Amino acid sequence: MMYSLNEIEAHARKAARGGGYDWGVAEEAGKAVRWLVSHGLNGAAALATHLSVMAHDGPPQALDGVWTSATGALCPLTAGVTLNDCADRLNAMHEQAMRDVTQPLLVVPFAAWAALHIKAPLTVVWDSVRATTNGYDLHIQGSEDDLNTPQTSALQCVIAQGDHALVAPALRGAFSTEVWDKLNTFAQRTYAPATEASRLLGAGAGVTDND
Amino acid sequence: MRIQTKRSTSIAKRDPATVMRLSRLGSFHQSRLSFMRILTRRMTDENWTFSRPVFEFDDKGVGYAVYCAHTPDRTYSLVAFGHDLPAEQRSDRVIAEAWDSTFTLFDGVPDAADIQRLRQNIPLQEAGRVTEKELSVSRANRSVRLWNHVVSALAAGVQPDRQEVEKVGYLMRTTAVYGSGKLGAADHEMIADRPECAAPFQIEMLSVFLTRTYVRDLVQHVADLRGGEASVKLDPTIGRSLGIGNSTGLGMAPFLINHPMLFNNWIAAREQAIAIVRSLPDAAPTAVQTFRELLTRSLISADVWHSEHPIQIEKLRELRSDLSKLADHIALADLQTAHPWDRLYQWAESTLGEDAQECLASLLLEPYGALVDPLADQMSDRNTQAFRIDGTMRVGELHTILENAYDWALDIDWSQQQQCARAWYVSAEKLEPRLGERFEEPVEPYEQPLAPGRDAAALFDDLKVEDKDATLAAFLLAHPQHRHSVRRAQIVGQAPYAEIRDNTIGSDLMPIDMLRCKLSFFGATHFDPRSDRWVRICMFGNAPYPEELATSDEFWPYSAMARP
Repeated sequence: MMYSLNEIEAHARKAARGGGYDWGVAEEAGKAVRWLVSHGLNGAAALATHLSVMAHDGPPQALDGVWTSATGALCPLTAGVTLNDCADRLNAMHEQAMRDVTQPLLVVPFAAWAALHIKAPLTVVWDSVRATTNGYDLHIQGSEDDLNTPQTSALQCVIAQGDHALVAPALRGAFSTEVWDKLNTFAQRTYAPATEASRLLGAGAGVTDND
Repeated sequence: MRIQTKRSTSIAKRDPATVMRLSRLGSFHQSRLSFMRILTRRMTDENWTFSRPVFEFDDKGVGYAVYCAHTPDRTYSLVAFGHDLPAEQRSDRVIAEAWDSTFTLFDGVPDAADIQRLRQNIPLQEAGRVTEKELSVSRANRSVRLWNHVVSALAAGVQPDRQEVEKVGYLMRTTAVYGSGKLGAADHEMIADRPECAAPFQIEMLSVFLTRTYVRDLVQHVADLRGGEASVKLDPTIGRSLGIGNSTGLGMAPFLINHPMLFNNWIAAREQAIAIVRSLPDAAPTAVQTFRELLTRSLISADVWHSEHPIQIEKLRELRSDLSKLADHIALADLQTAHPWDRLYQWAESTLGEDAQECLASLLLEPYGALVDPLADQMSDRNTQAFRIDGTMRVGELHTILENAYDWALDIDWSQQQQCARAWYVSAEKLEPRLGERFEEPVEPYEQPLAPGRDAAALFDDLKVEDKDATLAAFLLAHPQHRHSVRRAQIVGQAPYAEIRDNTIGSDLMPIDMLRCKLSFFGATHFDPRSDRWVRICMFGNAPYPEELATSDEFWPYSAMARP
């Protein structure tokens, strides 16, 4: 099914919020899924799966050193936003390594935004995957299975080396209605159940809207 | 070069602390920079042409039509479907499921297969699905009273009663115009590089402009079928006075908060325009003449502006009184020398209420199209990176931004119930945005992030104990709940008009202030609140129809018609 990028972003934002993230993180989760889907990647499916099984994922414990979670696996969204926040730490001498990251694909857009900050392309490396981005465009190499792996033991974000044939994003996105519906089960949690009182008062009816 | 010299003694833009209060935003008026006027200017300047390749309706208005707008480079088509709507289903609420007419603005000229696809989806609105060929989806309901009156009159061979027409102002009102990717339509990014789409909401405005023509044609068609030989053509003067109504509910209020950079650009463009005109050292007699004439027309417009809402009645009383004072003042004032417009504005600031001040601020721009109109190009949001948090910013710098831009919020005791009495939420029922009572309804778990002041104050509290030289990255890792507010604060740090500087969840909040602000940028007139949270307006009232664009003047929003 084809979706507009605004639809995808809004749906993913609501799903992340419904899945328990603070609004600020959820807003970036929406942008991240939009970014991935615009590059033809399974960002929506990655978020849907992540929200379904994330119970034990945690944020990085500290900014210095290799990022690990106190609870086992590292959450790609909290690790992702932190990667963007620490963009200035990324340089030729310093890469950012992470351990046991779930849905590593979701980290890539945050590396893109870090690349915008340092005005230099970054490469996110895990398993056989090397995803290089200048913030907007993307070059991917590696196996499809590794790209969509539910978890990787080690991920690094490094300054890109050499030239890459970067591909510009598309202006529409496609994924299955099953993924949309799965995200929707989380998005629904942000909606208040309708009551007769809210139907009458909440939107300010009370005088006739017919004339 | 002369303009450069004139601008050298420049008056600064008005302080955001003054402009961004809700009572002032809720007093805004349309201006040269309103989106409807940007569109009609372009259509006139570029000699757009219009055609109506399809128009097939029965005497109940059931059928479909296609209206094409031809720009120098491409064609946009409004596809309109007319329906026979049972009276009990007619509602302006988002929760409605059927309408008198439904529309889409199509990118290009639709072929038979497109029409077939649209016929299966557009009448369903939110329950349907469109593609990247569609740029907007909208619907409209009749003003049954005026529709029936006009059809009966024309069918019987007489013109409708002017007072009846004036009381309502429109034959149909739109109840939603969805653009920018909604329901599967094209995202704005797909068309953003087209010159006619550079200013905000141009697609939506074009859709409404063509809808107005459709409504005029349909009412005539139905009257002709009913009256046969006896029917007459609608008096063009009456036709011209008719706009398209619009019912706007709470959905628009969150828009202003959810698009801070875009909102900043709207306000900043108008403020820049006001500052440019106030900075002029003198005024040419023709400029003064234009100003005087449009003030007179504004007085008439205020006079024919009706509302039954107590707050609006009081605002209108004050506006009419203030505009009379302004008229008396300029009858004697020197408007030609010694920074006349700045002196006039300062006089108004100390003498008149906010509604008249804002009416004046918009009027000041009217004689100066060459100076003001280019600012329209700055009103869109092309900064796709603004959402990105700069985690390398020092805590101390964010602290300073908060003290400057949210000082009003830091002074509020947010633990008091009346300061946070309301909560914005989205209902599971057709996803209608609503405003609930935090302490009376179980809505808080569903609260939307639409209280920037409260949230900035909480951020400020937690920042107090942080090392001022530390970066935000560590703070945000420990306090992810503040990410939303840090983003907003960083945006307002570079875009001072991005934030409403008022409490958006207090017990005395009037959401209609936010609605009026947004609608004034659309170019709406005659705001008629129907409660504290929805408002009816008129769009394109007195505007030229497509065939009148070439011969009409650009000051069409200013009523030329005195009370009958």
